[in-house]
Amino acid sequence: MCRAESARWEVSTISKEFPSSVPPMTSRERVLAALARQPVDRTPVANPTSLATVELMDLADAFFPDANREPELMARLAATSYTELGFDSIMPVFSIVQESSALGCKMQWEQKDNWPTVRMDEPIWEEPENIVIPDDFLDHRDITCVLEAIQLLKRQFGDDVAIIGKTMGPWTLGYHGFGVEPFLLMSLDDPAKTRDALDRMKEISVAFGVAQIEAGADALTFPDHATGDLVSGDYYDRYLKDLHIEMVERIPAPLILHICGRTVDRMGFIAETGMAAFHYDSKNSPEESMEAVNGEIALVGNINNPETLFSKGPAEVREEVLRNLEVGVQLIGPECAIPLQTPIENLLEIPKTVRTWHAERAVSRTRH
Amino acid sequence: MATISDIHNATLRDEIEEFLERPEEIERNIELFSRARLLMQDIAVAVIEGDDGQVDRLTRGALDQGIEALEVMDDGLIAGMGIVGIKFRENFLFVPEVLACARAMKAGMAHIEPILMESGVKPIGTVIMGTVKGDLHDIGKNLCIMMLRGAGFVVVDIGVDRSPDEFIDAVEEQGARLLGMSALLTTTMPNMGTTIEAFIDAGLRDDVQIMVGGAPVTQEFADDMGADGYGKDALDCVALAKQLLTDDRV
Repeated sequence: MCRAESARWEVSTISKEFPSSVPPMTSRERVLAALARQPVDRTPVANPTSLATVELMDLADAFFPDANREPELMARLAATSYTELGFDSIMPVFSIVQESSALGCKMQWEQKDNWPTVRMDEPIWEEPENIVIPDDFLDHRDITCVLEAIQLLKRQFGDDVAIIGKTMGPWTLGYHGFGVEPFLLMSLDDPAKTRDALDRMKEISVAFGVAQIEAGADALTFPDHATGDLVSGDYYDRYLKDLHIEMVERIPAPLILHICGRTVDRMGFIAETGMAAFHYDSKNSPEESMEAVNGEIALVGNINNPETLFSKGPAEVREEVLRNLEVGVQLIGPECAIPLQTPIENLLEIPKTVRTWHAERAVSRTRH
Repeated sequence: MATISDIHNATLRDEIEEFLERPEEIERNIELFSRARLLMQDIAVAVIEGDDGQVDRLTRGALDQGIEALEVMDDGLIAGMGIVGIKFRENFLFVPEVLACARAMKAGMAHIEPILMESGVKPIGTVIMGTVKGDLHDIGKNLCIMMLRGAGFVVVDIGVDRSPDEFIDAVEEQGARLLGMSALLTTTMPNMGTTIEAFIDAGLRDDVQIMVGGAPVTQEFADDMGADGYGKDALDCVALAKQLLTDDRV
């Protein structure tokens, strides 16, 4: 039995094996219910950032950098998260650079074994007035690539699996367009100018987000890297909370905010935005994070990437998955885009542990 | 032994009382600022507040009064940046504020550096800093550079996406005994090991102390690659650089 068949077999069998008050769900139903903080038949497994690895590229015969720029390859590689790994969602946007490429940032597309990156040391904007969204922004090849990949995935998997798109938030676009240091200095020196820039950049987030929903995305990841490694929780409140509330109002699909690093000091603010979920990093413990959001937003996460998924084995992965399950984290997955050299065995351990944990609880319920 | 009341500047007293927690750091800063001239205390406060215009004005004023450039640098600029580093480590300050403080320090150093160069005063050390091949991220490296400069090191920043040969060339050209490598991506971390191997192949490994850092890098990874040290943050990088230089001299 190939991995794809094995994954599908496991999913269908599990529904029969683990009785609960919730009827068996498809992966898509499970993810969307969890994002709405509704009951689920079991905890969904998802990574709203990226599950691409070199090993999966080999299996799918779809490689970086082309899989970031060609819709068929993008869709084929993305589908492996469901067909090979048994995750409940598919995320075709592996990187964070599609919009920036379409806006004219200088790019380094790299090779099979490395991520594409924006050359932030060669910024394209100095002033908010420089921010111009090209009329043909949605027709740029790195935008249409994502839209076509979503359409392909929707046709093939749309009834069964949650197709998650990705639109970058304005804070991250600020790093790309202005350069990290100039943008952060502007935020300190001239708050009015910074707000002006954010207001202009948010239109990019909305345009790309809405286009992905029209293409068939069930939900969107919204990375906006106001991380505790760079800025304070107060910064999030001052610059981004209201803006994120506006994004929820204008983008008609569940939004999953993603911010790397230490974020507990801003999770309370994030929980007030109306975002469906927050994809959180292993620098925050599951216990303190659940307490910080107080049931106001779903959490997705937070299996450590560099030290666990990349460097250790299934036993250590299992420990982290169980810790998240025990405190009630609503969707389980890696903390961020996984390292490209992550062993498949470690990724397979995530859905396996989730299913086993639910099976054991079901058996326990039956006995009592 | 000096006490906090021996420091004339009220802002400095508040900074030490409010933000410093480690006894050895409190003691060191009280000792330093209690013997520093009032003008040096004012310069330190201007650095802490990230006021580049004030640092520029006060530094020029101090030099015009005949105060030695070395004293202005050590007791004013570096002392102020020392407090900034501690506040950053303890999350009282974040990157935008640190960038402003570093900009303020730079405004002062613009007056100091030419004088020191002319008088032949040697820095405590020269460090080559760069991000490894395939990695374009530089904010972590740049924070380390700010703190190293803030501690009195001369830093040669060779930029991002640098090959092993570019690191080797920089070390040879500058005659540097210290090298720092940064990586933000797990995909580029192994290039730190590749670079270290290149130094071995070139017969230069014993001539340079190599330190590494970056979000996914760990002490274990640094040890496996054969680095001489790992810094988990910018302040750690400064302590490590000082330690490696001391080891180098033994």
